[in-house]
Amino acid sequence: MKISLDVVLKDIPGQLVKALEPISSYGGNIISIVHLREEVTGGRVPVHVTFEVEPPRLEKILRELEDRDIWVSKVGEVRKKEKLKVLLIGHIVDTDARDTIDRINDIKGAMVADLALAMPHPEKESSARMDIEVSGDDVAEKVIERLEEIAREKNLIVIKSLSKNSSGI
Amino acid sequence: MRVQLIGFGNIGQGLARVLLEKEKYLEKRHGLKLRVVSISDISGTVVDEEGVDLKRALEVVEREKKIIGYPGEEMSGLEAIKTVDAEVVIEVTPSNIKTGEPGLSHMLAAMKRGKHVVTSNKGPLALEFKKLKETAEKKGVAFRFEASVGGAMPLVNLATEMLSGDEIYAIEGILNGTTNYILSRMTKEESPLELVLREAQELGIAETDPSYDIDGVDTASKLVILANAIMGVDASYRDVKIQGIRKITPEAIKLAKEDGYVIKLVGEVKNSHLEVAPRLVPVNHPLNVDGVLNVALLRADIAGDITIVGKGAGARETNSAILSDVISIWKNGACL
Ligand SMILES: NC(=O)c1ccc[n+]([C@@H]2O[C@H](COP(=O)([O-])OP(=O)(O)OC[C@H]3O[C@@H](n4cnc5c(N)ncnc54)[C@H](OP(=O)(O)O)[C@@H]3O)[C@@H](O)[C@H]2O)c1
Repeated sequence: MKISLDVVLKDIPGQLVKALEPISSYGGNIISIVHLREEVTGGRVPVHVTFEVEPPRLEKILRELEDRDIWVSKVGEVRKKEKLKVLLIGHIVDTDARDTIDRINDIKGAMVADLALAMPHPEKESSARMDIEVSGDDVAEKVIERLEEIAREKNLIVIKSLSKNSSGI
Repeated sequence: MRVQLIGFGNIGQGLARVLLEKEKYLEKRHGLKLRVVSISDISGTVVDEEGVDLKRALEVVEREKKIIGYPGEEMSGLEAIKTVDAEVVIEVTPSNIKTGEPGLSHMLAAMKRGKHVVTSNKGPLALEFKKLKETAEKKGVAFRFEASVGGAMPLVNLATEMLSGDEIYAIEGILNGTTNYILSRMTKEESPLELVLREAQELGIAETDPSYDIDGVDTASKLVILANAIMGVDASYRDVKIQGIRKITPEAIKLAKEDGYVIKLVGEVKNSHLEVAPRLVPVNHPLNVDGVLNVALLRADIAGDITIVGKGAGARETNSAILSDVISIWKNGACL
């Protein structure tokens, strides 16, 4: 997961390394370091660090920072909006497309952002491509569950994307 | 090394041809002299302790469609396994996903008699993998089935032997050439499934009864074998969530394409969950292979992602896998 960490360092040499060491030694991958020099107060410099780390290691990093007497002023997970893409096939309009969208938007952290519809003939099954913004993997999972439930009810087919971190590119 | 061939259709005959072609190579390169001491099909069995003449066997089935004209005797494959002396049984009868028979009985009977088993037959493995594996272990015989998944692609042996220090924590793959061919054509031509399917049937790529392929049965069987063999998941065919490609429309494919995706029938094992379904695959993703090709992506904890692409079927290609299994039994020195 991606972590945002604010530390307040003494303005003497070696402090930054002291603060960053625990992150790398627990396998964290540092993405950015920003010195907020304009906010220096009482000889201390606030520094903002973002890094990726396996969830169970975060606790260890924080404990190590405490042991090293590094003042952590704020820590939290960075939740990035992600796009979930699905296709639907079936009588999408006849089975109340509005209701389908509403029921996805009802999930906290999820929102249907785009919908492209193809209807070859009013009587025939139509196809739709849906982009859904989600604020994390847990929300994405809920959306898929909800979609599958709706699909069963309305006799639609859901085509999911490949699993998220499936191979590189 | 003496082998028995149970089933003499596409694969069985393909093996006979490859053995004739490779006779000298096998002896020179591996010191392996193979003697096929019996061949069975539904009509009966031909037995020859000195080695059945494979050329003649091929001519006979070419002409009469039955091995019994060799001449052979009215002995079933099961009888042959029980009564003829041999070290290895090669089981290549039709795949049956309801009962696993006749392959299941053949394999178990062979193991119980201390014979190693090499097979391309998915049904018995998709239903009773654990039982087969345990019986083989108990009887101290080899049980090899590289040919049952992905035809020529060295998938099972790659993961279990070459990557033996890695844990494979997920597998994704396109494991059925027929559906991949149909979806690829639908993508290129934006034509409906029925039309492409009919043409595929005329070309002999799809069966007259296509449900085994397009309803995902075949992919699911192979996925079960991979999950058991590579990931140690104790799953059977009944545990797979399956959706086929019958309902895929040209419009859906077009909507995907406009956005940089293709639709592929993908089998996935992850967290002990097995699922076969059409999925959206980015065009630049390694799983996006066209035509009758198969592809599998192994996600390994040390090695990272490993992708292999190859021919998933074919009488000749599949025998590459059967042959390598036979050779590895020979090399493991389990028999003379
Ligand atoms: N074809 C491929 O590309 C491919 C690729 C990978 C795996 N496989 C698998 O390999 C196996 C063989 O495929 P195939 O294409 O060779 O099938 P096939 O052409 O239908 O041949 C099956 C053979 O088994 C014989 N047979 C049926 N019941 C038998 C019994 N009770 N005892 C002895 N022989 C019996 C058949 O005899 P009759 O002809 O007299 O009925 C025939 O000779 C299948 O399990 C298939 O799923 C095939």
